[in-house]
Amino acid sequence: MQKHVEIAQEVYTDYDALWHLVTMGVLDSDHAPSSGTSAQTTKPIRVAMIDTSVAVDHPNLKDAINHDLSLDLFSNRLGAFSYHDPDDKLGAIDLNTATGVTAGLPRTAAILSEFIDRLSHGSRSWVDGVQPTVSPAFSSHGTAIAGLIGGRATVESEVYGASAVQPSQIPLPYRGVDPNCEIVPISTNFDIDPESLIVAFLYAELIDADVVVLPRTIPDPTRMYPELSQIKIDGKSLMELTSPEELTHEMSELWNELAELIINVSINRPVVCAGGNSNELYGIYPANLADDNNGIISVGSVNAKGYISSYSSHQNVTVFAPSDDAEAFSSAEVRLDEQRHSYSSVGVPPINSNRKFSHFDIISTDVPGVHGYSRSPFQGTVPDAGIREFGSYYCRFGGTSAASALVGGFLALGQSSGALCRESDGIAKKTWLLSKCVPLANEAPDRVIPSWTGSVAFADSRG
Amino acid sequence: MDSDLILKENRFFVTSSGLQLNEDGGQEVGPSDSSGVTMASGGSLVSLLALNRNRNRNRNRSLNRNRNRNRNRNRNRYDIDADNTAPDMQEPWKEREKLHDLIDEWIDLPLAPPPSMEELRRQCQDLLVKQYLLTQPAQALRRQEITTEATFELSRYLRPLNIEDAGGYDATISLILKVMALTDEIGLRYKARYNVMRPNQLEPRLRPFLDNPGHASYPSNHSFQSFAVAFMISRMIPEHPASSELFRSARRIAENREWAGVHYAADSKAGHDLARMVAPVLEKVLQDEMLAAQSEWI
Repeated sequence: MQKHVEIAQEVYTDYDALWHLVTMGVLDSDHAPSSGTSAQTTKPIRVAMIDTSVAVDHPNLKDAINHDLSLDLFSNRLGAFSYHDPDDKLGAIDLNTATGVTAGLPRTAAILSEFIDRLSHGSRSWVDGVQPTVSPAFSSHGTAIAGLIGGRATVESEVYGASAVQPSQIPLPYRGVDPNCEIVPISTNFDIDPESLIVAFLYAELIDADVVVLPRTIPDPTRMYPELSQIKIDGKSLMELTSPEELTHEMSELWNELAELIINVSINRPVVCAGGNSNELYGIYPANLADDNNGIISVGSVNAKGYISSYSSHQNVTVFAPSDDAEAFSSAEVRLDEQRHSYSSVGVPPINSNRKFSHFDIISTDVPGVHGYSRSPFQGTVPDAGIREFGSYYCRFGGTSAASALVGGFLALGQSSGALCRESDGIAKKTWLLSKCVPLANEAPDRVIPSWTGSVAFADSRG
Repeated sequence: MDSDLILKENRFFVTSSGLQLNEDGGQEVGPSDSSGVTMASGGSLVSLLALNRNRNRNRNRSLNRNRNRNRNRNRNRYDIDADNTAPDMQEPWKEREKLHDLIDEWIDLPLAPPPSMEELRRQCQDLLVKQYLLTQPAQALRRQEITTEATFELSRYLRPLNIEDAGGYDATISLILKVMALTDEIGLRYKARYNVMRPNQLEPRLRPFLDNPGHASYPSNHSFQSFAVAFMISRMIPEHPASSELFRSARRIAENREWAGVHYAADSKAGHDLARMVAPVLEKVLQDEMLAAQSEWI
């Protein structure tokens, strides 16, 4: 009997860890910044990042994070300032209290009122002593997102464990799209209570963020799978019948108000959302709220060959941005990695999309040491000063999370460089983004990718 | 040093074995290069090329599917016994010791005090409605769930994660059990503080579907423990598609205790709120266990 297992070559070409920035025209092939990208603002562009916490001491991130404004909503209803001491009291925070985003949203307006009071001068940094949940140990996702948006190239001293060796200087040539922006992490949990996301968006509005990045979904029971609400059984919607928990009237109203709030915030400042990693028909929520009348930007993924990543949402995607790829074997597409060690051609149709597959990942910053996506050979904590290895400081990353972070960084770069007026509203900023886009040559003409230079060069030329 | 120069004169390459600094493999290039930066010279900096996420691209991006590792071993350490007793686990004495070291951080969390008796009576009316509805055919599944969840129901946590029948997740299961064990103690202390009577002690027409546990009502430990698991697992692997589903499971478990007539809605909410506030403490106490469990996923 013939065996149909080939010996795959596992020939994966090496590639530039910053290929995505070259593809988007932010850096040239020599990694020099493209013309017109130098910072023109004295006050850094502020990116509100609604995600997990961040390993803020990462060498490439330590100057990118606004420690003072970072807010954690994981364990605190109205937030604990992530890097304040327990007994600190708040100074005078410059808040955009005149915002009108809660108009017509009575429950949200009440939360805003309570929240503004909580943020007032002299209030405790940690409400009632409840500490934030921001240990770097479990901050992988946020650390990767932050690096893509605003990481800075830097140099660190080399430290060899406990032995005294003459330290040398190690370059860490990594950066995000806009290394001059400031990132305000607003860390959240994945609870099915809309209130913490309401507070997160209110905070982004209050601190007058220039860009909001949301590289995650929101578990709104009706909007995650909107089609379920249309299917009725005995007069009740399938959504209601299949919900494991009881959706109270109050909770339902809060979810509705959150959706309105996201739209209202996006009209003032762009809200960049991950489009979804499972070929969602219209994108995940709230990316699926994106339309011409708001500033919500739904981001899909394109691989290093210039093909839309096999997993990415296609429909209702505002822009695509570089990311990784995944294998697919379905009636819609067969896209397999022929270099994979266990690759078999059995059952693979002769006409397939294997040539579209790219093994390039997005490289980003990772939690240093044993935690995070990349491990370390050292089991102990990382040195207080210097580094003894750099492998654990970076990770392979991907998905539409990565793509959305790149687009968020691109919008920040536009404002940092003065190409885009920071006082513009969310819709104007979205319009500017689209004006900087070019079509993906391999895809339908309405599938576009931001490019600083007006041309796009994809890094993976194989196949 | 100018960051543009760092980028211009140095570069990370992604290779099959990891991340490489500059094309020369990070070999020493002398005291310094033109940028004043000395390259890595031997030792870990040359050899450590982590970036060790699984090379195999999943066709389905859910974290735990189609992984090219042996996940088909039968689980045998944590199987729930036929009589539905708690899975076998040694007393987590080390973690309990750490928990006690940090007692100041969790013994006086600002949990809202229990509602007034008047409000609890009002909530009892809701429980009476649920008591009636529970007898209806449509609630057959819920009756079954209530019975199963009366003791310990690991599958409610494992099924959303899709590891109910998969081997290779011992650390994740161990983490769940330790969260349950530690939060049990924490919850009992809060219960003792408030000493709220059970619903049917306040409203005799309530006939609980289950025996009343022998401790006070507020907060609900079923709610507290289930939400604590959800908070810790979602903190550990926030990318997992089921992160929010664990919260739905937790809420269902909490609500089922109300349907059973053994908890007020206020108890469920207090359990949730306590779980949220205690999460940063559990993260410290269980950091090693969370790291071990995380390595089963990433």
